[in-house]
Amino acid sequence: MGLSVKIVVASDGPDLDAQLGYKFGTSAYMIIVDPETFKFEAIPNPGASAHRGSGMQAVVLAISKEVDAVLTSYASPTIKRHLSDAGIIVITGLTGTVQQVVERYKQGEFERYELGAHRFTAMHDGISASTILHALQNTARQFANLLPVLIGVVLLIGLFNTFISEEALDSIFSGAAGLDTLWGACFGSILAGNPINSYIIGGELMDLGVSMFAVTSLIVAWVTVGLVQMPAEIAALGKKFALVRNAVCFVFAILVAIPTAIIFNKFAA
Amino acid sequence: MIQVVKNKNKNGKKWESAIRVLAFPAVVLAVYLILLILMPDKTILAFKSCGNIMRSLILPLGLVFIVMLLLNLFVKPAQVVRFMGTGAGVKGILLAIFAGLISAGPIYAWYPLLKDLKEKGAANSLLAIFLYNRAVKPFLLPIMIAYFGWIYVVSLTIFTIMASIAVGYLVGSLVKERAGAFL
Repeated sequence: MGLSVKIVVASDGPDLDAQLGYKFGTSAYMIIVDPETFKFEAIPNPGASAHRGSGMQAVVLAISKEVDAVLTSYASPTIKRHLSDAGIIVITGLTGTVQQVVERYKQGEFERYELGAHRFTAMHDGISASTILHALQNTARQFANLLPVLIGVVLLIGLFNTFISEEALDSIFSGAAGLDTLWGACFGSILAGNPINSYIIGGELMDLGVSMFAVTSLIVAWVTVGLVQMPAEIAALGKKFALVRNAVCFVFAILVAIPTAIIFNKFAA
Repeated sequence: MIQVVKNKNKNGKKWESAIRVLAFPAVVLAVYLILLILMPDKTILAFKSCGNIMRSLILPLGLVFIVMLLLNLFVKPAQVVRFMGTGAGVKGILLAIFAGLISAGPIYAWYPLLKDLKEKGAANSLLAIFLYNRAVKPFLLPIMIAYFGWIYVVSLTIFTIMASIAVGYLVGSLVKERAGAFL
């Protein structure tokens, strides 16, 4: 857009006639407007459908777009603090359409907020006991949210460690390097735990004559691909991220194994 | 009336969220119960193995908790966007590689921290680079050298770090950032 001043308005719709949204974090759209020209860009709010952390996603959007001010009906004190810390002026308690509030901004109606915003930022320079308590509560909540899935993952790893034996693994590798490399990546993706175990299994497979392509793909996939940990990764980073990352890493376990094994076979075998 | 509807929606979302979080461990526990009937000895062994994993998790989880607390206290979203957003450039890539190399403990101990960083604005590509570089374990390299020799370990380390950048690029391209700002 190439704007000199940018303001973001939390709204219910994607244009200037839309009404302001109720909350900054969960409004349907973020309208980024140049108050001089009224040129605008409507971005669906990434946090509108989120259950948790919605406000933070809207904050990240505002910071990334390098806006100068946020106009909204309501923003929580935490959101206000994060925006102010980033040097963004926050103006709350507004109603009407996007066009109406931007015009009020243009006419200088909110200049007193700009002075107030600097005072607000200055107030948060130190760390008080309540800030530490708040950070502790936040950290504990973030942990508690992921704990049940984490326990599920540990239980699943316990099952795999007990029910899949090294002998069973050895018997599956056929001797065909291509197929074995694929098998190595598959087992590395399923098995989990301390990487030392992957070195031990890899060393045993090597002694049994299994190709280094297969051994290496197993060792790389062991850490980079995690089918068992997938539920925890989905809960933390989203379904699409987890699926795409694991699929890409599976392919790269094989791609990394090829040059590594070639060098090993040529210089170290 | 509007307030009542809002409260109902809020409660509904809370339940939905609780069911989503608890469904997975509940299913795994159900599998344990079935296996306990079919193969009691092996299932008890699996339970014991879980106990060992849990014990080994205490230290890394404690470390991650402290790192997260410090992050919540001192690191602002604006800083995360600058150092780990998609606009972070080469510095961001180097930071993600370094963090991945030195991070210790099982990956699932790190998920709460990664979730926090993502919510504060870290780019998907850099999170993927961090996760890939965990394949290189500096503290375990001597053991790996004992098994496979230093030529193997050095080449695997170099190819892994190179691959991590490609993985980061692909994940960043294929997974659209939730915050539309990372353009």
